[in-house]
Amino acid sequence: MSAARTGSPLPPAISVTGLRRVYDIKPKQVVALAGVDLEVAPGEFFGLLGPNGAGKTTLIKILTTLLLPTSGRASIFGFDVATDTRRIRRIMNMVAGGEQSGYGILTVREQLWMFSQFYGLAGKEGWARVDELIEAVGLAQQRLQRVSTLSTGQRQKMNMARGLLNDPWILFLDEPTLGLDVAAARGIRDLVLQWKAAVPGRTVLLTTHYMAEADELCERIAIVDHGRILAIGTPAELKHRVQRESIFRLELDHLDGGAPSLARLPGVVSAALAADADPEAQRVAVNLVLGEDAALGGVVTALAGLGSQILALRKSEPTLEDVFVELVGRGFAEEVEPAMPAPETPEREPAQPPELGE
Amino acid sequence: MTALTAGDPTGFDPARAEGGGPSDTVRSLRTALLLGWRVESNWTDPTLFVIYTVAKPIASLLLLVVMIDIIGGAASADARTFVVLGSALWAMLVAGIAGPAWSVLEDRERYRMLKYLYVSPSTFLVLLVGRGGARLAAGAMGTAIALVFAVIVLGLRVDLGAVRWPMLAVSLAMGIVPILAIGILLAAICLQTRQESWSYPDAFAGAMFLVSGVVFPLAVLPDPVELLGLVNPVTWWVAAVRMAIIPDGPSSIGGPGSLWTAVTGSAAPDATTALCALFVTGALVTLAATAIFRSSERRARDQGLLDRTTGS
Amino acid sequence: MTGPAATRAGVFARSRGGTDPREAAEWSRRQVAGNNLRALRGRAYPRIRGMTREPSWVFFEILLPFLTTSAFVLVYRALQAPEAYIGFVVLGGALSAFWLNVVWMMAGQLYWEKSQGNLELYFAAPMNLMAVLLGMAVGGLVMSSTRALAVLVISSLVFGVQFNVEQWGLVLLVFLLTMSALYGLGMALASLFLLWGREAFNMTNILIEPVYFLSGLNFPVGRLGALGAMAIATIPFAVGLDAMRQLVFAGQPYITGTPSPEVEALILVAMTVVFTLGARWMIRSIERMARARGSLSIRWQ
Repeated sequence: MSAARTGSPLPPAISVTGLRRVYDIKPKQVVALAGVDLEVAPGEFFGLLGPNGAGKTTLIKILTTLLLPTSGRASIFGFDVATDTRRIRRIMNMVAGGEQSGYGILTVREQLWMFSQFYGLAGKEGWARVDELIEAVGLAQQRLQRVSTLSTGQRQKMNMARGLLNDPWILFLDEPTLGLDVAAARGIRDLVLQWKAAVPGRTVLLTTHYMAEADELCERIAIVDHGRILAIGTPAELKHRVQRESIFRLELDHLDGGAPSLARLPGVVSAALAADADPEAQRVAVNLVLGEDAALGGVVTALAGLGSQILALRKSEPTLEDVFVELVGRGFAEEVEPAMPAPETPEREPAQPPELGE
Repeated sequence: MTALTAGDPTGFDPARAEGGGPSDTVRSLRTALLLGWRVESNWTDPTLFVIYTVAKPIASLLLLVVMIDIIGGAASADARTFVVLGSALWAMLVAGIAGPAWSVLEDRERYRMLKYLYVSPSTFLVLLVGRGGARLAAGAMGTAIALVFAVIVLGLRVDLGAVRWPMLAVSLAMGIVPILAIGILLAAICLQTRQESWSYPDAFAGAMFLVSGVVFPLAVLPDPVELLGLVNPVTWWVAAVRMAIIPDGPSSIGGPGSLWTAVTGSAAPDATTALCALFVTGALVTLAATAIFRSSERRARDQGLLDRTTGS
Repeated sequence: MTGPAATRAGVFARSRGGTDPREAAEWSRRQVAGNNLRALRGRAYPRIRGMTREPSWVFFEILLPFLTTSAFVLVYRALQAPEAYIGFVVLGGALSAFWLNVVWMMAGQLYWEKSQGNLELYFAAPMNLMAVLLGMAVGGLVMSSTRALAVLVISSLVFGVQFNVEQWGLVLLVFLLTMSALYGLGMALASLFLLWGREAFNMTNILIEPVYFLSGLNFPVGRLGALGAMAIATIPFAVGLDAMRQLVFAGQPYITGTPSPEVEALILVAMTVVFTLGARWMIRSIERMARARGSLSIRWQ
């Protein structure tokens, strides 16, 4: 965490312990969260990655005080999500993907100003803040356009601007690029990264089922499925679970001694000619498996000694879906098994209502 | 629609785009009626549904009956009968004209289904008529209950032996089309307006109160306004149903000083005249409503109104 | 860095300051009050803006209601009722605008907000939901007042209604108290309907004609006897309408069987307090229930 925004040590931005959430839906209950434990440090960009129905949105709704947990505890900067709702709402904001909320009859500028009032900005301050955010998110051309006439991408930019109005300490993003085209999605991701980087100490929790998005944005990721966290770590750590070695594909102009000449080198686990190499291309393609990235230096030196010229070098990495498959045994797109029925669980005592005048 | 064939699965069968003609229309209407009924009656438990179906028409009835009773006078018994019949029918009318309009608003604003209904092969107009028909059916229940209430509680005297049952059946059936046509007209307006148009059907029905002979004879109105009433199919519908139930009762059309009497020379229209007038005015209103709806639909497509949300 | 990127970087770097979110989360009473007042203003804004952007309401909310009122006037004329009753109908028709506003624009409003996906954004924001409801009320009040005034003036002119006001101050006070009681009830109904969910839309419908009848929309409510007394005790529209009739048609012998306007003003005060406090309690309870059920964001529940 940065000293720019924090002085004394802060409690975790998000702290979740034994969180369960059961929905009473006919014909049978659905366990959306089956006991989640998680901690996010202030200033962290944390991702929840999982397929549809994994429990990501349920978790984010609990953290944004829209939903009560069935049991367990969760807190935002030490404030309990069940009881300290007002305090949490003053320092957080949320943006969901595919949001169609708002009032079609208002312009973009008016809509955002209205929300600025909900967050307590003074009238003139609200207009100024709205105008600068409209510029920042790239909606200057649409500022006086009615909300009902915006495209999907424009609407999501507006939603992002709404999410940043109160300069939240923690920003919750629930699949913010859902339904957006490649360019629009990239725009949203860039926006979020820039916003977070502008003032250290800003925390972001992102839920997504787009692996590349989680990989690109998040410092740490929790992989979620069927209401449980399967693994937490940085993207590199998670991928390392699946593939401890480093795999490279080398293309050379020639290779004296063939692949065995490389296989004998220190740090090289295996070397083999690539099966998909094009014999007409007058180049040699070799798949190298190294114990660690550092062994690559020795290989390059050896190739230079053999007189081979490296034409192309590409590292092959497992994806987060590979990690998911490793953990769960199926891909994101494969059929989800029936949700587990809710076992008998004592519900938590209803929390006391907050103090009057809070 | 042609059934899936066992031919080349990659080939496109142009016959699929032809449609099945009247059978498709009937199927669409049936589905829309069923959907409308499920939406109408599925929102709450049966008790509340009954209360809803009963409370509105009876309250409207009582509002008018008390007005009459307060003023009292020799003619109050006849006036009561006149007003009770008209007011009971009003429940059906309001439900029928609100049905298509509220379907547009619900499907566009709440369920966000309007665009999907629109792009389906079923005719949009037919779907709205079906949805409106379901609400009309619920309104008809209210009318029946209000009439029973009037007989049992308010002392409305109806000689069942004197009721012209064939005329009653025909006039009730003939009234459905123009009522739904007015509903389609309102739906056309709601396609162009925003979410707060929920109250427009009620407002429209309230205004029609003035020119339908529901609670007072048209003769009370100035001639130009009476003329509006005479070209209004609802006026003829209410008059025909009254005539069928109370053959010798007072009519809302005609009487001393009325435009009808001045033009035709007769004190009041007879049954045949009433039914013919209902048919003709109903047909005219239906044609006009259909044309206006088509125009509104075109404009809605042009302006992109079919999938917007408009709340405030 | 120059151009748009510089602008964005600059905007994003502008922080509201502070080093501890826990301090930022603690608002003074003044800040809380300011937030709620601004939220009220913010929520009233779309309602008022909507009036100018969708002008069809002029026809449907003014002309047609005038015609409806005219219909009831003509009923009395057909019955050869005393002219005083014309005045009762006109005043009832004018004030019904406020009842309809409460029913259509407030009672079901939270349910409709949920349908649009706005409700969870409201709950996730720091202001009190009552401020939002009040904002809706104030916004709707502008349209309702316009409608009421138009119907009153046009009908009075067309039908020659004679008013006799002796206590202008009390008229104004009763009017304001009626509004406060009505909108207090509206807030209570809004939270109730949020709980009931899908029934909300149809429940608002049940509240129109039955309330018109029980409140004596077109006749002095005292003529309903015990029913009228019950209405005076429970329905703000009934009390307010009766009090206004007694005050603007002072000395009318036909308004009987109900308390004096002063007593009715006190009843309205009590109603305001009860409904507003009730609404506050209900909103908090229902928020908890909705959060427990998860129904804040399930559109059709």
